[in-house]
Amino acid sequence: MHFTENVIIGLEIHVQLNTQTKLFCSCPTNASEPNTAICPTCLGHPGSKPVLNEKALEFAAKLALALGCTIAPTVTFSRKTYFYPDLPKNFQTTQYEVPLGSNGAIVLDNGKVIHIQRVHVEEDPGALIHEAASVLIDYNRSGIPLCEIVTAPDMNSPAEAREFLKKLLNILGYLGVYDVNNGVVKADANISIKERNYTRVELKNITGFKEIERALQYEIERQKQNEVKLETRGWNAEKGVSIFMRSKETEEDYGYIVEPDLPVFEISSEWVRSVQQSIPELAEQRAARWIKDLSVDKDDARIIAANLDVAVLFETIAKQCEPIFSARWVRREVLRILNDERKELKETAFESSSLIKLFKLILEKKITDRIGQRIIEQLATKKFLPAAYVKENNLAMVADEGALKNACKNAIKNNPKAVEDYKKGEEKSLMFLIGQVMRATKGTAAPNVVKELLKGLLK
Amino acid sequence: MDITPEIVKKVAENARLKLKEEEIKKFAQEMKDILSNFEKLNEVDTKDVPPSFHPVPIKNTSRPDEKGECLTTQEALSLSPHTSGNYFKGPKTL
Amino acid sequence: MIKQYVESAKKGAVDLLEQAHKALEETQKINKEYRYSAAFADPVAQAEKLQQQAKDGKAKGRLFGVFVSVKDNICVKGIESTASSAILKGYKPVFNATAVQKCIDEGAIILCKTVQDEFGFGGFSVNTGKGIEKPLNPIDRKRTCGGSSGGAAGLTKKATFPHLALAESTGGSIANPASFCGVAGLTPTYSRVSRYGLIDYANSLDKIGTMALNVNDAALLLEIISGHDPKDSTCSQLPVPSMADVPGVISGLRIGIVKEAFNEQMDNNVRKTILEAVYKLEQIGARRIELSLPLSMNYGLSSYYTLAMTEASTNLAKYCGLRYGASEQLSGTYNEYFSRVRTSQLGDEAKRRILLGTFARMAGHRDAFYTKAAQVRTKIIQEYHMAFKNVDVLITPTMPLVAPTFEELKQLTPLQHYMMDILTVPANLAGLPHISLPCGESNKLPIGIMITANHFQEQKMLQVSNALH
Repeated sequence: MHFTENVIIGLEIHVQLNTQTKLFCSCPTNASEPNTAICPTCLGHPGSKPVLNEKALEFAAKLALALGCTIAPTVTFSRKTYFYPDLPKNFQTTQYEVPLGSNGAIVLDNGKVIHIQRVHVEEDPGALIHEAASVLIDYNRSGIPLCEIVTAPDMNSPAEAREFLKKLLNILGYLGVYDVNNGVVKADANISIKERNYTRVELKNITGFKEIERALQYEIERQKQNEVKLETRGWNAEKGVSIFMRSKETEEDYGYIVEPDLPVFEISSEWVRSVQQSIPELAEQRAARWIKDLSVDKDDARIIAANLDVAVLFETIAKQCEPIFSARWVRREVLRILNDERKELKETAFESSSLIKLFKLILEKKITDRIGQRIIEQLATKKFLPAAYVKENNLAMVADEGALKNACKNAIKNNPKAVEDYKKGEEKSLMFLIGQVMRATKGTAAPNVVKELLKGLLK
Repeated sequence: MDITPEIVKKVAENARLKLKEEEIKKFAQEMKDILSNFEKLNEVDTKDVPPSFHPVPIKNTSRPDEKGECLTTQEALSLSPHTSGNYFKGPKTL
Repeated sequence: MIKQYVESAKKGAVDLLEQAHKALEETQKINKEYRYSAAFADPVAQAEKLQQQAKDGKAKGRLFGVFVSVKDNICVKGIESTASSAILKGYKPVFNATAVQKCIDEGAIILCKTVQDEFGFGGFSVNTGKGIEKPLNPIDRKRTCGGSSGGAAGLTKKATFPHLALAESTGGSIANPASFCGVAGLTPTYSRVSRYGLIDYANSLDKIGTMALNVNDAALLLEIISGHDPKDSTCSQLPVPSMADVPGVISGLRIGIVKEAFNEQMDNNVRKTILEAVYKLEQIGARRIELSLPLSMNYGLSSYYTLAMTEASTNLAKYCGLRYGASEQLSGTYNEYFSRVRTSQLGDEAKRRILLGTFARMAGHRDAFYTKAAQVRTKIIQEYHMAFKNVDVLITPTMPLVAPTFEELKQLTPLQHYMMDILTVPANLAGLPHISLPCGESNKLPIGIMITANHFQEQKMLQVSNALH
């Protein structure tokens, strides 16, 4: 491959599929106590045999299709042999020759295409707890279905890698093939830099899209400062460093053979079609639909669609409230609060019915925008009826000219400098005066009425 | 095909077998002998012949995603002396 | 014979408890001299339960009261199953192999495990694992039983109580010892019998089969253990044909004589005896057709061993002193520990095959060996299918000779050992069902005749076997 960019990054991502049972046996995938979800097959007992979980293949195919991959017409499994205590058979059953899916892509916001070379299914090994002179092994995880996604080395910065992973996680959330709460997404990165002649380092064991940016930034710096060898390094998130694991020369020869305990899987086009049909509308399409059918602002659409829960919330609201307005408010208020508080939607008290009622109050000019903003902050943590709250706290919009005229007169009296500046031609000062009236009326004054009153009084 | 002691050592390492010098020499000679016999396969024209990884066609066996019976922790751990509490114990990895 | 015994036992006319004591005693006595048995089950306790069932009029099953020995690579729940390897010492499976369960469900009494070449690696049962004595030929103790199901064949020959053996073949390990010990050995089509519970040698080649003193009894057992098993992804869903009591109707049946199996390398007596048997079949209506199987007979061995060893080398990776079986003190890194246990517990032949198998699938030579062997396998299967368009069964001697002495075997190189399986390996590579029947003797040593049918045509080979009587 001929590289020209400064930084070359390729990712290998492992996603745990949230089937009920493991890939090759019917042990549950959600055990908590160690070594309770185990059987002869996932323990690799002599004489045990694997039987494929059809749901796992379906979930992996769903993901592959959602990533734009072509599904192979015939799928086989392979044995990848290497020795490690977390691997009960000392080989992993995976897919080597022909992956389930190939030739997909994810497009970044700036239009750059990150190609996906392969998507395939394999089993997870067990989990190790390292002690001083031994390891403790829990085989609950052994045999859980993993979907491995391998990209081409198309990314050229840690930020791009982060964006890629974030988009991937968004798609995973939409598909429901992955447990958003408890599932684990691990990435290995292949990274090389121009000034080290693109000598590639494999960086393993990075969890999550925030860590990927951090890990890659560290590694790029390390490669700039040090000699780079063809090697595999492990990312230590706690210490924020990468640690040498093994050199590529001493890498295990996995000696792949076709898994003789499993048959060939012929995949019909009908099956692929039915899986394709089961894929829900993904973020990009959803946003495009809102823009087209509901005339929602482009950026609002894109940003809301990126969060599945909020997207669903928005669609419910938009059925009853004007969509353009709703989108603006969901983005600028609801999402803002989620981001500021670093919360997921389900961790807040937000619900569609009260938001619909609130938006209607604003749209019907029963309350001002400012009051609306205040109430929405409250709705994040408390459930209540907006109308009742408005009444209780005297927050209804005041548009009565008579009532407001006094407040305007007071504002003019108390802010002579602003009045002078306005008369000189400073529009900003008018805004300031409006602000003063809003403050005095605790936000309940209708801003446009106040504006006209002030202009009239200042003539 | 030449099977040198170095090759045997490399293969043995891959397979986690520790061989003595005399063993390596002996295996090298035997492997050379046997692999030369395997190389006879090159006499067969296999252009465009698909490989058979089973002798009869076997396709598409799978099972539904339904929970089945598991072993108890005790049952599983009782097969080995290398255990600690509810965990299997293994030699250190770092 | 088995059928009558079962009928009597079900009626309560047999004292099963007494039978069990006798069978146990006899087996242990045979064992002292011939070393056929590995771990024993508890036949007396099982007999007690069955006896009660007979008393209550609830006796059922086509194997009621029959004693079944199980080759040591087939898992019996709670009974040490080691495939005659030191590395599996102490492994007591937590489940029964499906084939074993089917026998139990038909009222059989599991007697004991039988000794074999370690993991099936051998044709003479001289490669038993460390600390395990090799079994001796029932007719002449200075000679081999054949292998790898040597213990099963020997016990089948010697036992005077109602006994059937579960055995296993990868490259001929049922036919070979059946031939050397003078018993009937049935190997079904690959995938006919579930491999669930079979400790793997080579997953695309292993088949569980049966042995008995006569064909019909072996056929009955085979019929019982055959059939679809959802626990084995490679197990066939085809319906199981009736195998016991297949009429020996031979008229018009076309018998293929494989030219290459009757060349000068074969023992003269063996060759003559088999040809005489074929002649007898012609006398009663069979048609004899001579044919040549050049690919199978010249390249079958190489293709077989390449594939068998590559698969075996991955199957044996799991044996590393953790989770079950033999173990040592945990010290050193995991690589050191694994190497230590594997090196000390695995026998020489196991090591040899692991080395060869690992080599054959390593990145540089995978295509030249592993993939090539699989391609040659395709052509060999095609060659057989072509042959079966013109014949119903193929007949050859089972082995090119009668049971050699242990001294003679010591003179052979490993490669020469492998070459001895020249007649059984091609059919096993192709997954074809085959029978070995006793057919005459040479210097009092049994000769075996091998009848091979096309995939899933067990009935045809049983037809011919029954006609030979």
